[in-house]
Amino acid sequence: MGGQVYRMERDRARFRDIVRGRLREDLRKYLSTSELLGRQGKKTISIPIPQVELPRFRYGDNSGEGVGQGPGDEGDQMDGDGAEGAGSAGEQPGQHILEVEVDLAELAEMLGRELALPNIQPRGSRQLHTEGGRYTGIRSQGPDSLRHFRRTFRRALKRTIASGEWDPKDPRVVPMRDDQRFRSRRTHPKPESSAVIFHMMDVSGSMGREQKDIVRIKAFWIDTWLRSQYKNIEVVYIVHDAVAKVVDQEAFFHLRESGGTKISSAYELCLKQIQEHYRPENWNIYPFHYSDGDNWSARDTARCVELLREEILPCANQFCYGQVKSAYGSGQFKKDLDHALGHDDQIVTTAIDSREGIPESIRAFLAEGR
Amino acid sequence: MATGGHLPANLRRQARITEAAARAVGLDFFDVVFEMLDAADVNAVAAYGGFPVRYPSWRFGMDYERLQKGYDYGLSKIYELVINNDPTYAYLVRSNSLMEQKLVMAHVMGHADFFKHNVWFGPTQRSMVEQMGHHAARIRSFADAYGQDTVERFLDVALGLDGLIDPYLPLRESRRAESRRETIQSRAERARTDFEQHWGDGAESLRPGPRPSRSAPTTPSSGDLPTFDILGFLVEHSRLADWQVEILSIVRAEAYYFVPQRLTKIMNEGWASYWHSHLLTHGLLDASEIVDFADCHAGATAVAPGQLNPYKLGIELFRHAHARGDDLFQLRQVHNDVSFIDHVVDEQFAESNQLFVYQRNSRTGKNMVVDRDWVAIKEQLLRELSWGGSPRIQLIEADADGEGGLLLVHKHEGRDLKLDEAGAQLKTLAQVWGGPVHLLTLEEGVGRRISTDGQEISVIETARAQDVCGGQESAQAS
Repeated sequence: MGGQVYRMERDRARFRDIVRGRLREDLRKYLSTSELLGRQGKKTISIPIPQVELPRFRYGDNSGEGVGQGPGDEGDQMDGDGAEGAGSAGEQPGQHILEVEVDLAELAEMLGRELALPNIQPRGSRQLHTEGGRYTGIRSQGPDSLRHFRRTFRRALKRTIASGEWDPKDPRVVPMRDDQRFRSRRTHPKPESSAVIFHMMDVSGSMGREQKDIVRIKAFWIDTWLRSQYKNIEVVYIVHDAVAKVVDQEAFFHLRESGGTKISSAYELCLKQIQEHYRPENWNIYPFHYSDGDNWSARDTARCVELLREEILPCANQFCYGQVKSAYGSGQFKKDLDHALGHDDQIVTTAIDSREGIPESIRAFLAEGR
Repeated sequence: MATGGHLPANLRRQARITEAAARAVGLDFFDVVFEMLDAADVNAVAAYGGFPVRYPSWRFGMDYERLQKGYDYGLSKIYELVINNDPTYAYLVRSNSLMEQKLVMAHVMGHADFFKHNVWFGPTQRSMVEQMGHHAARIRSFADAYGQDTVERFLDVALGLDGLIDPYLPLRESRRAESRRETIQSRAERARTDFEQHWGDGAESLRPGPRPSRSAPTTPSSGDLPTFDILGFLVEHSRLADWQVEILSIVRAEAYYFVPQRLTKIMNEGWASYWHSHLLTHGLLDASEIVDFADCHAGATAVAPGQLNPYKLGIELFRHAHARGDDLFQLRQVHNDVSFIDHVVDEQFAESNQLFVYQRNSRTGKNMVVDRDWVAIKEQLLRELSWGGSPRIQLIEADADGEGGLLLVHKHEGRDLKLDEAGAQLKTLAQVWGGPVHLLTLEEGVGRRISTDGQEISVIETARAQDVCGGQESAQAS
């Protein structure tokens, strides 16, 4: 039996190789479509690929006729009828979509290679992460529930023999208080770096569906990359119009809002989060902000610049601003940021006209390896 | 084929009881060997088409992924896996209940009888288990000699051509040979001998039969053309390396082996279901198992709204024929799906089974019931099933353009080809042929010629296509 399963493992591995090859070839395509969004699990992502069909002579679409079975009068629409049509006996196989699981780490590696991204040098090992307790140690004190019977008995036996009390005819061993040994918990301190990503998105009325999609695609790939760089990573999603709020991933990727735009609200919320949950001594901090470049007022923009300069930049690894072109956006915010903070290489700003610009903009954000 | 585990004693006994019951009602088959598989391994064996000893190909890996996903998500589960071979092999899944094992065993007996007696299976290779092993060994040895990637690439090309065969050829050939000889006993054996002579038996067909010395490909003679067996033509006449020709013949032999299963899907499943239902309710089941059986049987023959289920359609066809007083054993011997439906479907059948013709409404994209007239239903069924459900493509000239180009014709029966995919298929063909390839077809009534040299594809309008494609020849062999 084993032989046959082993053979299948080979054919399967070969198929997966081919899928990976395709993915690599088509990565640019995936980089600018929302196809992969929301498909990531903990460690893997399930990628839909059209089943690789060999070309054959087949009937085309003009034969949308077939025989079915069930109730209904002539002229009635069939029940439970999908786009696939009723699968009748002679029906050709449709375009099957196969989902293939790929490791997120592998996907990140492909991304890194495609965009020639450098690995990130974390700012020192910040957090002392203790890797769980395992009861591998021994000590002389402890609760009875942790008593190590064999060790205890061995010591007692040794003592009995050494003191000449051992009688092979009556091999009785009575442990004393001093003989007792207990298991103890040993912890392994291990330095490890942690990172937090803030995705801040403008969801005001001027951000259309397309703009939001672009932001989401970018956020997805940035997450994928940073996750491969840090073992311990957290992501905070913030959406804002005139007020900002923290939302979960699901909401971030699907929310539609409208209203005015006050960017400082998001920065303030981000800062509050940093101060309360992500102390810079322990965390590498990556705030990303995406909008169409419109802001409520010049005064609010000034407030944003001040927040960045005084509070956020000093504690962040890098601050990224991605401006997505929209029909209504003025694109003023990027100009203002560049003007006020352009000399600071901790801040990266990009402007994206369309989906095609996504890979370049991702590269700009991640190319410095900060 | 020592792959699966042996049966535990109670199932061995059950197999003997089932076999005796099957023989008692008149079913007749080669020895049936049951093998036990773990649920986890069934999908692997199924992906290999039932043969654990296939050549290495990523395509099996793909099929496996698909089956395994379906199983993991609880969408599909494979109950039965039977192999047309002498002895007939069948797999049981270890995790099935005793009732399910009984059902599968009885069902398998039906298939085994069908394999042995249906005339379309007559010419098939009955030692295919060994044969597949030989094929795999040959292809592995090519991979060792010429490199894994090279061989895999060519194998993919060859597999892409495996539809270009003549499903009626093996039977026609064996009939022709049969008329020349009278002395052999049973039809099945006669057909088998013919097939072996034609294809070589297990050992011989490592160097496939119909090919003479490969030093110079034979020039196509007018006797070879026209032909639907385009793959066979390539084996004979293409200018390929020996190992490539051999891969083509292997792919062709396996394609011909599987063809009858495509031609008789409805009958074969119907026959097996008819008999499992009969056998189980006539003594094989304990009273306590009846309800579970009914549930399981209903699941297998369930009809999703507006669809056709070959198990359901098949069993109803046999029941209807039985009610009409037909000899079922004779029907299962001489028909394929097309001729069977032609024979059995009448007004009463169409009505009691609630059959209808649907059509896609181009405006809504939904399917609509358009006709409940039994003649229209029958015509539509026959159209869909003829030629195994594929377009008929015939090779008519081997040097059509003076440059050694092949000329193919699509025998148009009312349904257009998918042109982009046809172009891709022609490209594959041109690569193997080593010269240009042309196809005449109709697109919405307009004649077209698609041409390719293996690189570029061109399409032109041509009046000639109307003359050659429209011919409504009979698709029947007999």
